[in-house]
Amino acid sequence: MKWLDFETIPKVILEREPDYPPWAVSLTNTLVNRTGSWRIFRPKYFDKTPPCNDACPAHEKIQGYMELVKQKKFLEGYELIIEDNPFPSITGRVCFHPCEASCNRGEYDESLGIHNVERFLGDYGLKRAKAKKSAAHISKQIAIIGSGPAGLTCAYYLAKSGYKVIVYEHFSLPGGMLRVGIPAYRLPKDILNKEIRKLEVLGVKFKTNFTLGKDIFLDDLKQTNDAVFIATGAHKSRNLGVPEEKTRGVYSGLEFLAQINSGKRPRIGKEILVIGGGNTAVDAARSALRLGILPKILYRRTRHEMPAVAEEVQEAENEGIPIHFLVAPVKVIKSKGRITRLECQKMKLGKPDESGRRRPVPIKGSNFRIKCDSVICAIGEQIDLSVLTDDIATTGWSISADDWGRTNLPNIFAGGDCVTGPKMVVDAIAAGKRTALAIDSYFTSREIKEEPNPEITLFSNLNIGYFELAQKVTMPGLNVKERKRNFREVHLGYNELMVYKEADRCFSCGVCNKCDNCFVFCPDLAVMKSDDKYDFDYDYCKGCGVCAYECPRNAISMEEEEAR
Amino acid sequence: MKFEIPQKEYMYPGHVACPGCGGAYSMRMALKALGERTIIVIPACCWSIIDGPFPLHACKPPVFHTAFETAAIAASGIKAGLDIQGKTDITVMSWAGDGGTLDIGIQALSGAAERNDDFIYVCYDNEAYMNTGIQRSSATPWGAWTTTTPAETPKSEPKKNITEIMIAHRIPYAATTTLAYPDDMIRKFKKAKSIKGTKFIHIFAPCPTGWKMAPDLMVKICRLAVDSNVFPLYECEYGIHYTINHIPKKPIPVEEYLKPQGRFSHLTKAMIEHIQKSVNFEWELLKQRAGVS
Repeated sequence: MKWLDFETIPKVILEREPDYPPWAVSLTNTLVNRTGSWRIFRPKYFDKTPPCNDACPAHEKIQGYMELVKQKKFLEGYELIIEDNPFPSITGRVCFHPCEASCNRGEYDESLGIHNVERFLGDYGLKRAKAKKSAAHISKQIAIIGSGPAGLTCAYYLAKSGYKVIVYEHFSLPGGMLRVGIPAYRLPKDILNKEIRKLEVLGVKFKTNFTLGKDIFLDDLKQTNDAVFIATGAHKSRNLGVPEEKTRGVYSGLEFLAQINSGKRPRIGKEILVIGGGNTAVDAARSALRLGILPKILYRRTRHEMPAVAEEVQEAENEGIPIHFLVAPVKVIKSKGRITRLECQKMKLGKPDESGRRRPVPIKGSNFRIKCDSVICAIGEQIDLSVLTDDIATTGWSISADDWGRTNLPNIFAGGDCVTGPKMVVDAIAAGKRTALAIDSYFTSREIKEEPNPEITLFSNLNIGYFELAQKVTMPGLNVKERKRNFREVHLGYNELMVYKEADRCFSCGVCNKCDNCFVFCPDLAVMKSDDKYDFDYDYCKGCGVCAYECPRNAISMEEEEAR
Repeated sequence: MKFEIPQKEYMYPGHVACPGCGGAYSMRMALKALGERTIIVIPACCWSIIDGPFPLHACKPPVFHTAFETAAIAASGIKAGLDIQGKTDITVMSWAGDGGTLDIGIQALSGAAERNDDFIYVCYDNEAYMNTGIQRSSATPWGAWTTTTPAETPKSEPKKNITEIMIAHRIPYAATTTLAYPDDMIRKFKKAKSIKGTKFIHIFAPCPTGWKMAPDLMVKICRLAVDSNVFPLYECEYGIHYTINHIPKKPIPVEEYLKPQGRFSHLTKAMIEHIQKSVNFEWELLKQRAGVS
């Protein structure tokens, strides 16, 4: 027979014994019940990488600044961007925005206008942010050759870290391809000037009209500086490779753009053919249109294979520029030393080449001639390796460097188009940033910080029950008539109301934005909420997983409990 | 989108509901809306257990445990006692399961509603006697598996429409609500508190254990039930004024609601079609009552 052991009766009952009621009544609460021991799966707050951050070559914290814009903290948003990209007002205008292509919202209604928000923050920061003053306190000097996006970015981050930086530029004004390659209707010169001014305030010295291999030499720079960053870009226009192309009336796309962008009006005819499908071709054609000439673009593949930014191609068509696809030049026909016709050939698409695009194959006997008085040749740019010294390893067409810009020589770094071949502005910015980290690491032996968390939140990870359909805010702009015969900026930018509305569409994929869902839906009161964060109370959490499932943005992970 | 709900809790963690319990969650929300000055009457149901074994107690307001059939009459009595003492600011809430409401407690409930006694009657409906081992109740839907209606011979009677029964009593307020819409739930409890007379709230409260479903789907399944019109959210005042609170833009097929639940896994295509037809029929009927086209 078992006897009741009075020692095991909870003390609280014994204490209350004198007025113990005649019926059963609870005397304490369930806090003594540690139901956490039931748990098989443990929820954990674990932020993932949003696909936009991952797709951005510079790994801008896009979701982060969208959240700040939602709270109308524009200046903080600007500060967050320039941690990864010092020139948001430039990329907000000219970037091909791979972030938007990967935006999960695209699978729901329409992807976010990320570059429009970026541009707003960039302009806002240029106007309102307090300029950072020179802070060179490290006795190391770095020479940067080339003041394009890669060189400027590297200069910015090195100067910000306290290094002395001198930037050498071939042209009379810094900016590289941003200045000579991109027309003012896409990137107004005063925006570029303001961004460069930001660097000058930071203490970066610019030496213009210095050409590598003519006014300065790599060997000297190596001697007089602690490190050298080569960011000379790709400025040599590729030749057409057809007979008689050295005829009068055949121009290189880059030279044509450089003349226009330096304020000159190039001597050019009335019937212009632009050859190529990249940004240079589209920019040249749209610039020619602004001089009052209607050019034709000829491209040897189809729209799908065009390397130019899709929106720019669309704008060119909106402006009435005809694009002839699957056409390639074969011969220049001249009369009295000047081009009169271009003989072309029709093409068809064959098997994919090494770039993954389908190779154009000529159709025999399809030759035809187009009347013209000028041809702008914009079929790509090459890297001029002749200015380098022999000890730098090359691939034969570009400089050999790793992802961090490190070449075979310890204190020589290289990045941007001169390593990768012609790519987008943001790729150069990313290269400049990574090289700045590598140079800093070279001097300080500091470890380079890891890239973002590889776990990316996809559309299928979201709980879309919590999102409502919302249309993208349209970017205001000039209509086609207003664009004729001037280089005024085509897109006019969002205002505060628009940028707020657009950022509000952001799903905040993979990153907790304090929506309260986990706190609201917990049946076990096991989510503790404080002002700035949530915590799980593992004493009571039963591991049902409702919080993880109802998290709209995949910021909670369930992990199996370890057996104890 | 952020749910605006009262932040203060009137329940303790450590209650002994199964993981992913819709009933536990519903009580948490109800108390958030009603506040500390509440007396809860609980007949035999899951919540007799969830509240904790003697001497424990999971709710901050007092709970009166009573017999299965007496949820409504006990609340009437408590309210009368409070009235005599002049304590008029205390809300009395009966909190019963579907068995204690639709089967065993219906006569007491009907009686209290006829007298229009001043209390809130809540039926948290998990569509079977879950606590005693998943036996069918009159709230179990047509075609569902329970231990007393096995998959070979699933339940062949449709679910009793308790909300319409209560509306027919012409009580001042009757409403349906569910977990996926916490703001809707809070609002309905607050509204019920502000009205004098018998108020009836029907909560669709999933039971992952009895529905043979993953516990993390607790909220999702409610959203599916509403979006497929299986459980429409509506309220009715004085038995006449109907309001449908959520009209799905495009109702989803009932199959999507049935699929995640093991208790419906034996259904044939023809049976699912039958369920779809009856859901459509009920929905049209409700729309007619509410005057919505």
